[in-house]
Amino acid sequence: MKFYVCIKQVPDVYAPLQIKDGKLIQDADRNVLNAYDASALEEALVLKEEHGGEVEVVLVGPEKGAETLRKGLAMGADKGTHIVTNGDSDNDSYVYANVLASFFKDKEYDFISCGKQSQDSDAGLTGSMLADLLNLPYVTNAVGLTFDNGSLTVKRQGDAGQEIITLPSPGLVTCSNDMNEPRIPSLKGIMQSKRKPVETISVSDLELDESIKPKTKILSFEEKSMREPGKKYEGEPEEIAREVAQLLDTEENLI
Amino acid sequence: MSTLLTNISVIDGKIKRSSLEVLSRCNELAEKNGHTSAALIIDESPGDYVDELKKYGPAEIYTIEGPIFKNHLNTPVLRALSKAVDHINPAVVAFASTEGSKDIMGALSANKNAAALPDMSEFDLTENGVKGKRPVMAAKIVSSVEAEGETIVLSVRSGSYSVVENGSDPKVEAIDFSFDDGDLGIVLKEIISASGDKIDLSEAEAIVAAGRGVKDDEGLKLIDELADLLNAGIGASRALTESGVYDPSLQIGQTGKVVSPQLYIAVGISGAIQHVAGMANSKVIVAINKDPDAPIFEISDYGIVGDLYKVLPPFIEELKKIKQN
Repeated sequence: MKFYVCIKQVPDVYAPLQIKDGKLIQDADRNVLNAYDASALEEALVLKEEHGGEVEVVLVGPEKGAETLRKGLAMGADKGTHIVTNGDSDNDSYVYANVLASFFKDKEYDFISCGKQSQDSDAGLTGSMLADLLNLPYVTNAVGLTFDNGSLTVKRQGDAGQEIITLPSPGLVTCSNDMNEPRIPSLKGIMQSKRKPVETISVSDLELDESIKPKTKILSFEEKSMREPGKKYEGEPEEIAREVAQLLDTEENLI
Repeated sequence: MSTLLTNISVIDGKIKRSSLEVLSRCNELAEKNGHTSAALIIDESPGDYVDELKKYGPAEIYTIEGPIFKNHLNTPVLRALSKAVDHINPAVVAFASTEGSKDIMGALSANKNAAALPDMSEFDLTENGVKGKRPVMAAKIVSSVEAEGETIVLSVRSGSYSVVENGSDPKVEAIDFSFDDGDLGIVLKEIISASGDKIDLSEAEAIVAAGRGVKDDEGLKLIDELADLLNAGIGASRALTESGVYDPSLQIGQTGKVVSPQLYIAVGISGAIQHVAGMANSKVIVAINKDPDAPIFEISDYGIVGDLYKVLPPFIEELKKIKQN
């Protein structure tokens, strides 16, 4: 079974953030492997351990993304490809998906997986865009994966409950971070990662169509305003409980 | 004049309220800018919802009917949307942000070569497109975004706009559609209905969260009962996941899940900063705690000071009464 896992390097959302003149100031040393992609990789590694095969990680990003690709290898991926982009590009999901589609067009694989979204932009578009561009069947928001008879059985969190879906090969699946606890690379894994094959290619090598440009633009960032405390209800428990219950209906229309 | 098309999401036989919020916003923008607001229902039996939809004032209603739409499956939904976009040629295709719309939005935009703006908290029209705001970085930051193009696909977070009733006499048109099951690609084997802790907390509309104050089985039973009643997900503070009372995946906070439901009920949670980091973006926060100085009251909209074992039973009973009416 050949598994490609698409991973992304993102700023650590838990690191202190600063906004200056509408621009987000991020500490370049606090970049991490997108948590949703880490879950996708963990799942692929578990399936490989159970059923054999190969897991390759693919990262689209600037040069410093190499450290995140290395983390994927240290977790246990067999090899990696780094598609290097310009450091200060304003690429959106549309560009990422097209870069990946161009990379995959002459590749052979059973499954492509990625996180359901990236934890910085939370857009959640690239996975299904890529599936459409490659004309692959796909499932999003997986919370569990098993492999049998050449197909993946995907447990997907949907609106009406958890859906059990069969995804044939070749197919694409996007993963939630609810499905597992991604492994922390061991010292041995880190040592081994240095000897694993990494192919580095430039976006220009992929000969993208000139029309592939970002379709959306970020104009500015602002901090979310803090909330004000509301009313405190004290007194007879029965009375205040009923009062608040009614307010949730009449004032907030939530019941 | 352009058309603003709202996709009406029907789940479990009911029109999703959040898609009526989006329709209300599109009606407002259509009126202000001289455009047409249209609604689209893709369903097994879309006719069942047309009369109700008329109450919310779209100028046009389109339906796409087929047995394949009994459950959400991305391939047929995409085909139907693609056909509707070709037929109606809208400037904007707007969705409520649901698991169903998240599943297809990227694919639809790639398929139609359209710009996509997901999970907006507000949006407006510009001369050649759409601009708006969307929370990013675990909802700590709001980004202003814009897109231009012939068609723009967007989705809106629930609770961003109010539903406005505004009866209309719209044109109703059925769009022809057929689907060959051989094109499905994926096979849906089973749906396990959601309830209680199976609800994905990061997308739940209501969450009941338990903390250290919930001490025993009786307390846990009250939490279950309240969550069931509100169709809410159950979350927990670190105290209760570390002691093994709840599964670690249910932890809300800086090291757990970051949630932003419409309604968050914190039961017996003191409100340590690590917990607050995970839930401060909830729309309405109700806190129940016997300590009047608990920090959770600094961010709650409704702070009930009292013993949860005395507060929850009448609270649940009153909510039941409201729901029955």
